[in-house]
Amino acid sequence: MLKMTHLQKVYRTHLIETHALRDFSIHVREGEFVAVTGPSGSGKTTFLNIAGLLEEFTGGEYQLDGVDVHGLNDDQRSRLRNEKLGFIFQGFNLIPDLNLFDNVDVPLRYRGYGAAERKKRIEDALGRVGLASRMKHYPSELSGGQQQRVAIARALAGSPRLLLADEPTGNLDSLMARGVMELLEEINRQGTTIVMVTHDPELAARAHRNVHVIDGQVTDFDSEPALRAGSRESGIGNRESVQAAPVSP
Amino acid sequence: MLTYYLQLGLRSLKRNPILTALMVVGIALGIAASMTTLTVLHLMGSNPIPWKSDKLHYVQLDNWSPDEPYSEDGRPPDQVTYRDAVALMEAGKADKQTVMFKLSLPIQPENRDLKPFQALGRVTYADFFAMFEPRFKYGHAWNRDQDASHARVVVLGKDMNEKLFGGQDSVGKSVRMDGIDYTIVGVLDEWKLRFRYYDLTNGAFVDPDEFFMPFTTAVDLKRRASGNNSCWKSPGEGWDAFLGSDCVWIQMWAQLDSPARLAEYKAFLDSYVSEQKKLGRFPRPLNNRLLDVTEWMEDQRVVSRDVEVQTGLAFAFLVVCLVNTIGLLLAKFTRKAGEIGLRRALGASRRDVFTQFLIESGVVGLSGGFLGLLLTGLGLVAVRALYSEYRTVAQLDWMMVLTTIVLAIVAALLAGLYPTWRACRVQPAAQLKV
Amino acid sequence: MEIRPILSALMRSKVSMILIGLQVALTLAIVCNALFIIGQRMDRMNRPSGMNEADTFTFGSNGFGQGYDAQAVLRSDLALLRQLPGVADATNTNTTPLSQGGWNSPINLQPRQKSATANTAFYMVDSHALGAFGLRLVAGRNFKDEEVMPMDQGDRIQPSAVIVTKPLAETLFPDSDAVGKQVYLGEDSPPSTIVGVVERMQQPWIDSSTIEYSTLIPAFMPYGNYSRYLVRTEPGRRDEVMKAVEQKLAEANSGRIIGRMRSMEQTRADAYAGDRAMAIILGTVIVALLLVTALGIVGMASFWVAQRTRQIGTRRALGATKGDILRYFQTENFVITTIGLLVGGVLAYALSLWLMQAYQAPRLPWYYVPVGFACLWLLGQLAVLGPALRASRVPPAVATRSV
Repeated sequence: MLKMTHLQKVYRTHLIETHALRDFSIHVREGEFVAVTGPSGSGKTTFLNIAGLLEEFTGGEYQLDGVDVHGLNDDQRSRLRNEKLGFIFQGFNLIPDLNLFDNVDVPLRYRGYGAAERKKRIEDALGRVGLASRMKHYPSELSGGQQQRVAIARALAGSPRLLLADEPTGNLDSLMARGVMELLEEINRQGTTIVMVTHDPELAARAHRNVHVIDGQVTDFDSEPALRAGSRESGIGNRESVQAAPVSP
Repeated sequence: MLTYYLQLGLRSLKRNPILTALMVVGIALGIAASMTTLTVLHLMGSNPIPWKSDKLHYVQLDNWSPDEPYSEDGRPPDQVTYRDAVALMEAGKADKQTVMFKLSLPIQPENRDLKPFQALGRVTYADFFAMFEPRFKYGHAWNRDQDASHARVVVLGKDMNEKLFGGQDSVGKSVRMDGIDYTIVGVLDEWKLRFRYYDLTNGAFVDPDEFFMPFTTAVDLKRRASGNNSCWKSPGEGWDAFLGSDCVWIQMWAQLDSPARLAEYKAFLDSYVSEQKKLGRFPRPLNNRLLDVTEWMEDQRVVSRDVEVQTGLAFAFLVVCLVNTIGLLLAKFTRKAGEIGLRRALGASRRDVFTQFLIESGVVGLSGGFLGLLLTGLGLVAVRALYSEYRTVAQLDWMMVLTTIVLAIVAALLAGLYPTWRACRVQPAAQLKV
Repeated sequence: MEIRPILSALMRSKVSMILIGLQVALTLAIVCNALFIIGQRMDRMNRPSGMNEADTFTFGSNGFGQGYDAQAVLRSDLALLRQLPGVADATNTNTTPLSQGGWNSPINLQPRQKSATANTAFYMVDSHALGAFGLRLVAGRNFKDEEVMPMDQGDRIQPSAVIVTKPLAETLFPDSDAVGKQVYLGEDSPPSTIVGVVERMQQPWIDSSTIEYSTLIPAFMPYGNYSRYLVRTEPGRRDEVMKAVEQKLAEANSGRIIGRMRSMEQTRADAYAGDRAMAIILGTVIVALLLVTALGIVGMASFWVAQRTRQIGTRRALGATKGDILRYFQTENFVITTIGLLVGGVLAYALSLWLMQAYQAPRLPWYYVPVGFACLWLLGQLAVLGPALRASRVPPAVATRSV
């Protein structure tokens, strides 16, 4: 489903080179629920951006659902994002000026579905997250947990092959977080592959498999499935390593 | 605290130089357009002789054709006949009165270095000077006796005296006009008339009169007026027939010092016309008018419709500029929601925030005002170039400079009021959570 | 494309939309009416006077002193003028088109008619007038030399022959040829015969409601000691001939003043100075207005783009292409502009109605508003292009940035 091999990402400014990812390899298979963990600044977000085709990489290979991403132009990448990926953001990123229906509608519009198809999918998706009755409400009228459910509905509406979640519970209290997590597990059980970036070990523990990133490299992974990744493979477990360093863009 | 807000305002404006420039230029353009036209309108429409404009009355009699009115809207002719002018002057029923017409005469300077030239002057009675009050530089007006005796005297305008005598006191000297010598009794000082309100019939925005001569003396020359002449029937052959005709070509003013005197004079005019009707003249219904200076200006449309339309459009333009500024300020202040929340959390009251942002708007207004003033100056230069006859009314005076600045600040504060009010409603907590 | 969601999003930030819409509405109303006024003035200024204006000039001669014989000077001046090099033709005339001063009189089909058949301007000229003015004779003939009579001011107007303009001829004799017909110029005068018809010659007053009704009277008629001449030069030699004429005529007779030397081009410029100024001032207001409106749109759109950076990033992450984002802002601008224009269209007609009532202005022709729509749509799209392009360049990775 998602296969990165010896991936590199270097940010260059006129003064310094920053290696956000170096020799980064990971393989996520269909149906998996993988948690990518690591301290702030470790390269988690860079991984997510590249995995989500939001940023380009500077070396290595990346195949998304069998498509070699390298060399695609901006429009092709947009298309691919729209068709294959669903995003769940830490900050929900709902559009405040649109009601729930229109928010979920956004990716479907870019997909180019007809009105009837869109309506069906929106109602379906909102139904799955339990918010079908609040379609005309605006995001500001909802709790954080409900907002994240809408974001999940938005991600699901287009029937993505892969769901990318960026700290999906980071802005939620623990009760709400549990609800969202349960929803994600439910979605995964129904067959959607999920890659979740988080620094919360409790959350990561609920995934099938954890990949630990430090300093732009995959350092640990747990669970068995044959994983030809990373040059260094050491240790097992969810190492907690939260740093106070600012998040790199 | 005020200086602190002022500093904050300036710093904030400096941080977004393009947005700030857009706002300032927007206000300046709106202000300049409206102030340019307003200045012209104001100076055109202003009372030229405020201390006695209600006493000076323009005399109109309706001696026009029985078959058709002089003007479609029923206004009487704007000038009177020679017969009526003379009769009313001889009656002398007003406190002061004069009749006048415009005359062009060749001037033959004694100084052989100067070529003869044509000069436009005014033929009138001695009362003219007492009624319209030009200041004399040398000498004085002629008197009523000289009117009666057809005296060959003349009062020179300042420019004419400069030209002929280099600005020296020329009283007592003579000037030769069309082969006849006239004794100079007076020289006017600069007469700053923005427009020639005493003769609107022949164009308000024209060069000042170059000389003044007794009416009685000039009529002896048998020269026709240079101004308008209208007849509703053929005057007949020759000069005497012309003088006795119903052609109108003379303007008449009467000074009436009280409402009672005005009523008396009105009654006198009515009885005069009734008398004339018995002689077979004045075939139309009684239609005499005695408009005072401002009424007469209104009647003769001294402020042209074009200027009114321009002023209207300019103010509509100002409204657009203000709407523009409101939008931009709103944009600017909305972006500062975070800062406002922080300030509120740190103890700023709504009132503090309100003052801070209103001062920022005020700074924009003040800058817009100064730039607008500059542009108004340029605008007036352009108006003077476009309408050469408006050069006396396209001038900025202190009153208008002050108005411009005040208008700009008020406009900017008005424009800033809504955005500021919105900014104040920011809840201190709302913006702080990440 | 996606107008409904854009519209519902706009309804959530009404104030900004109202501000831009209001600006567009006022701009449309003002621009339409101002353009219409400009158009009217241009039409007025473009009316042909019927005479050659490029190669002609006028001047006056003012004699002074006793014993000045204006009639004799008039004849000798004309003789002198006609033989000057560069002069194509010359005539005496009391006035010219565009000069704003002249003689207006009724012209009748019967003696002592109660109300006039028409009102006409008189041009007192000699037999060289057609050549000097450059008029086009469309029927009949020119004046004969012997028809030109000496006249003095105050004399009765009773010429044996007159030439009228075609519009006047058609008004006087709608059903037949005017040449050879008789007209009455004064209540006690004998009739005059129309000997010729010229295609066009405007009256001297540009505001006259009967501007095309002119009559040429064959007369040597000084005004006291004053006489006025019109000279047509060979093409391109006007300025040079003007100087020569001033000098030669002054030399020929020192007992007079040669003055008011003006080319017809100058006379036209003076006559229409007010209209031209009005057109320029309104034109400036229009340009400034469009500029301010465009800048306003740029400012607001930039602000919206900055405010919605994250939203744009999210849309990009959800699969919007750069083109989708560009079109989003363009469509949004189109929606706002259209709402403003709809209001502005009503305002434009309302303003026109007010101008009609207050200033007797003619009605705004319907097509000004749709043309204004098109222009402002274009202006809006151009103004929003910069900010919209900036929006399209927002990277999708913005979506994952923590605040």
